[in-house]
Amino acid sequence: MYHFNKILAVAFIVLLTGCSIGGEKKIKIFSVEEPRQKLNYPMPTPLQMEEIYWHIITSENAEEVFKKLEEAGIDPVLFGITDKDYQVLARNFAQIRQKLQETNNLLEEYKKYYEDTGNSQ
Amino acid sequence: MFSTIKMAIAIMLITGIAGAGVYVMKLRADNATLKANQIKLETAVEEQNKVLEQQKKDFTAILESNKKLNTLINTFKKDLQDLDKRFTKKNRDIGKLALERTKAIERIVNGGGKNASRCIELASGAEHTEAELKATLKSQINPECPSLANPNYVPFQ
Repeated sequence: MYHFNKILAVAFIVLLTGCSIGGEKKIKIFSVEEPRQKLNYPMPTPLQMEEIYWHIITSENAEEVFKKLEEAGIDPVLFGITDKDYQVLARNFAQIRQKLQETNNLLEEYKKYYEDTGNSQ
Repeated sequence: MFSTIKMAIAIMLITGIAGAGVYVMKLRADNATLKANQIKLETAVEEQNKVLEQQKKDFTAILESNKKLNTLINTFKKDLQDLDKRFTKKNRDIGKLALERTKAIERIVNGGGKNASRCIELASGAEHTEAELKATLKSQINPECPSLANPNYVPFQ
């Protein structure tokens, strides 16, 4: 009987300690994603164009035009282009304007894509 | 004799109980692992679904953006064609016209220059004026860049 009690006591202790196996708490590691800061540059300031005046000079009105310039206190000198070059200039200007518009548009689309849809990288 | 048998039975009993205990503990550990795996799988599926949804949204946004840019580029082409047409329509020679009607052409050229400057301002991001927004007639628009300057103007085809 004495042995039996001893064995029972040992078994009881083993059982008790057995319950504690694997009972240690595990360290939990979790990551929180920190979103990248937005660049937030303001959009470029719109241009403010200054006005220029185009003089049209023909062989007939040249003297009159220069006279008017002198009367207005402006140097009687003009930087001229031909009618064909004027067309080219108008076309070049239109292309520059279109490129400006395209670039601004692209910028807006990029901003919209990466900031509105949360695709920040 | 009797006590030896009793002891053997006791040892067997204890071993059995201990074995059962260890087995239960193993089962519990397995169960916990399976539960953790299940949670991980569910989270992964959820994340994948989110990624797919985001990809779908992105794809739509990219398509829309491409469409917008293509429309813009087509408008540019049309604007350039219109500009060329204004110089060459019906065999028009602006040089000859300037010789014949110098003052009128000077006025037109200066008006065109002013309009072109305004187009550049708008292209660089300037705000539209009320008159520009309200313009719906051909006489009210900026003919240098109607699509940019007058968004409410619909050209007659």
